[in-house]
Amino acid sequence: MTAAPLPPQEGASDPGATPSKRRIGVYVCHCGGNISDYVDVEQVVAAVKADADVVVARDAMFTCSDATQQEIAQDIAEHQLDGMVVASCSPKLHTLTFRSVARRAGLNPYEYTQVNIREQCSWTHTDDHDGATRKALRLVRAGVARTRLTEPLEPTAVETVPRVLVIGGGVAGMRAAVGLADLGLEVVLVERAPRLGGWVARLGTTYPHGADGGALVLRLDREIRRREAITVLTGAELVAKSGTYGDYQVTIHTEAEPITFSVGQIIVTTGFDSYEPAAGEFGYGISGVLTLPEFTSLLKESDGPITHEGRPVRTIAYIYCVGSRSEEHPYCSRFCCSAAVHSALLAADRGEEIRQYHLYRDLRTYGKNEAILTESRRRGSLYLKFADDQPPSVSHDGDGLRVTVRDQLTAGEEVTITADLVVLVTGMVAGKNPKLIGTLKLPVGRDGFFNEIHPKLRPVETVVDGVLIAGTCQAPKTVAESVASGLAAVTQAAAVLKRGVAELDPQVAVVNASACTGCGVCVDACPFGAITLVAAEGASAETGTAPVAGARTAVIDVAGCKGCGGCAPVCTVDAIDLRGYTNAQVRAMIDGLLVGVAG
Amino acid sequence: MSALASAGMIRQLEAIGPFDAAACMNCGVCSAACPLGIDLLPRRLFRYALLGCEDRVHDASGPIFSCLLCRACEANCPAGVHITENMRVLRHWLLQEGS
Repeated sequence: MTAAPLPPQEGASDPGATPSKRRIGVYVCHCGGNISDYVDVEQVVAAVKADADVVVARDAMFTCSDATQQEIAQDIAEHQLDGMVVASCSPKLHTLTFRSVARRAGLNPYEYTQVNIREQCSWTHTDDHDGATRKALRLVRAGVARTRLTEPLEPTAVETVPRVLVIGGGVAGMRAAVGLADLGLEVVLVERAPRLGGWVARLGTTYPHGADGGALVLRLDREIRRREAITVLTGAELVAKSGTYGDYQVTIHTEAEPITFSVGQIIVTTGFDSYEPAAGEFGYGISGVLTLPEFTSLLKESDGPITHEGRPVRTIAYIYCVGSRSEEHPYCSRFCCSAAVHSALLAADRGEEIRQYHLYRDLRTYGKNEAILTESRRRGSLYLKFADDQPPSVSHDGDGLRVTVRDQLTAGEEVTITADLVVLVTGMVAGKNPKLIGTLKLPVGRDGFFNEIHPKLRPVETVVDGVLIAGTCQAPKTVAESVASGLAAVTQAAAVLKRGVAELDPQVAVVNASACTGCGVCVDACPFGAITLVAAEGASAETGTAPVAGARTAVIDVAGCKGCGGCAPVCTVDAIDLRGYTNAQVRAMIDGLLVGVAG
Repeated sequence: MSALASAGMIRQLEAIGPFDAAACMNCGVCSAACPLGIDLLPRRLFRYALLGCEDRVHDASGPIFSCLLCRACEANCPAGVHITENMRVLRHWLLQEGS
């Protein structure tokens, strides 16, 4: 390290620079060598140690390690620290880690400031060690300057309504309703159709265990009727939502009249649509070319030898991945391979002499469903693999349907099958719910399905607070997977509502009522509708200032405010501050960046 | 010329004797092990039989009857297909068909 010694902060001893005496601890991290290979950590510590209000300054190999966390906690107790700065990595990584260190040691977590000298110094300025070190010191001093002005903040507690709105009465929504009721929560289950059950109610025998779809739904329906906590509204749709986290007002249009009530959480389980092939797509439109749902209902609604339009069915050809894994629908629909293979077993039950050819791109009878694939092969189903760019063609001639395919398992040779039925194994597409998407501001992916926050760790939450998703409105799923995600949403909703209160981040905007002129510019700037104008009397009673007749003042709902800060800069008289990022703090940080470092 | 699949052939073969070609996984070890280097891979021949491409099987009667039944392929088949037994069934079927 060749950097010149860093000068002390100018005016550091000037008492006017600090509004009050603080006791701040500063910790500068080596991050192994991620930081200290480029930033002279010891120099930064030595320089900041001499600064006003800094009681302790140390470096650490890994500040986030258990041992160093313990040391910080000891410092907080021993030196009675009332402010803390860690200069390490991105705040995204460890803000919560060090806030919790503060809390454990009895320091309010919001007295903590994280400074990012890894991403912003060492990783960015690998060619300039001296510059990186000086920049690190500037950032640390800005962090100290902010910390001088921190104040203890407590999360805002809002009472939650122990009632959940479930939108969509398919199998996921029905199972979720039962689960919520069993946890002691009230449920309103809203279904657009005249009856509950969705797609599963229309299914006959389902894979893998042969359960009847209609029977499954009946069973859930009985469970729902048995629970007084569940209210079912059919022929009903959500038309409006307002309110704040944990206490939303929703309006449902029913056949009778609109109903408005409060709910604490909303679970969306609106399901999917079956892919509808275009006319002529794999012969769709020719008699005998059916979609998978059409074929399964043919199986369900008849018994004995299979016939179609009065003619016996002896040969069936299945074409897989119709409407899935395409340019328009690039995803795999998950259920359809297994459903088609299972249908072939049902067809074989109706007459072993039926010959069945399966034309596939890739077979995804994943998990335990591999067993039904093996079973279907044992019972004579034949599988032919076609290349993505060589799809089969379907035509009609005197004898019936002719399906021609280049079979990669027969050395790419073209094979022609004469079939009585062609089943297009159609996948799932996103349901059409433009009104609901608008009302709830649901996050819609490019594929039309709703997006979760994190596919692995937060699979049922959306970016919209209090709105959860489950079942096939999120992505193609099997019945079992839909039910599992419905129950995941139950857990997530109950985790919030069973506590009775939700804790909201206290870093929200506040209005200085005595300065507010009631101009209303902030009201328009708020994207969350959290600011309202009220008569000034009430507000001025709190502040003790004399009200001006007819004056109005802005009031910010702490539960509705997300702390985005959009209102603060538009305020014409600087009467709005964002807690944790006050105007004074931001000014102090800028000063902290500018003072005291030569170069 | 497209190979025409027919439903009936596999049942005729199974009536002659056990025909386990469906176990074939298309690896091609059989061809590598064949001392005659028969030009029609068993795996391809078995696909014709399974699909019921009767014309293709008739066209293959040369290779089918030149097979030595030495079982070198069978000894090396990772799927345990009874290749030589299947060959006998195909010979029987061809003779029945009178070709």
